[in-house]
Amino acid sequence: MSTAAAEFAGVTQRFGDFTAVDAIDLAIPEGRLTTLLGPSGCGKTTSLRMLAGYNTPTSGTIRIHGVDSTRLPPEKRGLGMVFQSYALFPHLTVADNVGYGLKLRRIPAAERARRVQETLGLVGLAHLAGSRPKNLSGGQQQRVALARAIAIRPRLLLLDEPLSNLDARLRVQMRTEIRRIQSETGLTVVLVTHDQDEALEMSDLIVLMRGGRIMQQGAPREVFSRPANRFVADFLGYENFLADAAGSLLTVRPEHLSLGAPAADGLGLEATVVSTAYRGVDLLVTLDAVDGSGAEVRLQADVRAGDAAELAPGTRTTVSAAPEHLVQLADSGKE
Amino acid sequence: MKTRRPVAATLAVAGYVIMIVPILFVVTTAFSSGSTLRFPPEGFSLRWFEAAVTYDPFMESLVSSLELALGATALALLLGVPATLAIHRGKLPGRGFVEGLFLSPLIVPELVVGLALYQQLMIGLGLNNVAALLVGHTALMLPYAVRVTGASLALADPAVEEAARGLGASPLRAFRTVTLPMLRPGIFSAALLGFVTSFNNVPLSLLLQDREFRTLPVTMLDYVQQSYNPRIAAMATLILAGTVMIAVIAERTVGFAKIFGGINR
Repeated sequence: MSTAAAEFAGVTQRFGDFTAVDAIDLAIPEGRLTTLLGPSGCGKTTSLRMLAGYNTPTSGTIRIHGVDSTRLPPEKRGLGMVFQSYALFPHLTVADNVGYGLKLRRIPAAERARRVQETLGLVGLAHLAGSRPKNLSGGQQQRVALARAIAIRPRLLLLDEPLSNLDARLRVQMRTEIRRIQSETGLTVVLVTHDQDEALEMSDLIVLMRGGRIMQQGAPREVFSRPANRFVADFLGYENFLADAAGSLLTVRPEHLSLGAPAADGLGLEATVVSTAYRGVDLLVTLDAVDGSGAEVRLQADVRAGDAAELAPGTRTTVSAAPEHLVQLADSGKE
Repeated sequence: MKTRRPVAATLAVAGYVIMIVPILFVVTTAFSSGSTLRFPPEGFSLRWFEAAVTYDPFMESLVSSLELALGATALALLLGVPATLAIHRGKLPGRGFVEGLFLSPLIVPELVVGLALYQQLMIGLGLNNVAALLVGHTALMLPYAVRVTGASLALADPAVEEAARGLGASPLRAFRTVTLPMLRPGIFSAALLGFVTSFNNVPLSLLLQDREFRTLPVTMLDYVQQSYNPRIAAMATLILAGTVMIAVIAERTVGFAKIFGGINR
């Protein structure tokens, strides 16, 4: 079991009347990639900034490697941060940018040059050491920002939406890059993003936030297959929400719904086809049904195109799902 | 040449003509070989330039002007740059008011400023006119120091300073190694604009002059009232040449348009 690199205990951040972060408790595991995931305004960036030292919590404690660092200024925390805007020093070359932190630590010039080269090699930019930030592409600037943060051998590496300013293709590429760098260096990484694909692909631990609170945390598989509440399920792309006879809120993924065959146990409903969307390999079927509590629900089923021959709008059929695919949600996830 | 806006084009050309023609008159008469400021000038000679640079009152007051302009520029920047930082980055209450205060010398009549300085500093505190002039010129240049640097600062990414701190720099170190270099073009522009403003100033310098310390524009004004010959045109042409050189330096280093737009890229 990995130990905690950092811990939030009852941390709250208030700006006047607005509570950005509401008494969160969180342990960041050592040597792993943790993602704070959520929509804008959920408090993820504020939490990261408190960890970095740019914001001071209104109340609560932040410990880094066991030491209370709540009021420690950023320059004394030994953390590396990559900003969304990259924030490269425009008047310095790439090499000087990456070496900035090393120079502050009075590392002698020769050793500094060696480490700069090594770090630039790690991000694949050794050939651009003498360039200026303004002459680099977005992806290159981002990698320089990454190299600059890594060069100082930080205790934690913090990334604030590092991929959101990149085009789609680069984003996918960089996800693998960052993951690779993290496993090669063994760094503890905390990443902030609103993109669930990014979070699912890159993380060891996902922390879902909303309205300043943690809605669920766990490994990607765990969170994805067993969302705890409606907000998390919704955020992760679950489509079907229904209630059973006892009134509990359930959700099931579209690909786990079967049409036409009655299930022994689990879910079994009479439904009417509303529309279908042919996608080559699969077919998306929208249906209207009445759930266990008597409410009308609209369901999305994702079935193999070959299996579903007669599904014109208006067709009556049965919708079923095996019990292990039904996820019970704790609550609506609403405030 | 066809233009879609003939009226605007005509007005623009007329504007240029009105501004440049008088200057052309002065410059051409400076090369005259005669003794009067007549246009067209009689003959071609450089003797009036020699007369200008050997004329002690001109040269002494030129030195005074330069000393004053340099001193006031330095003081205005020393006061103005921290003020800009406090206004734009700090959590000062009443920031708008403070900024307005630093920009107010642009609208207060200079004679009023001069009179106030005379009354309070020279008579009240017994300071000499050089000190009063320095204070006055510094005040005149503060708006440039604050506004031009401010524009520069507004365009700089505040995250850059945070990045420096995250890497281990103390706030002062971050300022020195990151913020200040980023502000350099803005500060340089402010310095140039301020220097020219101080050098060319007449109302304040006129009010606070004395026999010992007098600026060049004031001396030239005095000269014109006594002797009316091409020496003054020559001196004016020399000043013009100096100004053009400064403009060229500004263009090469920072970009002339950016100085007046106050934009730092």
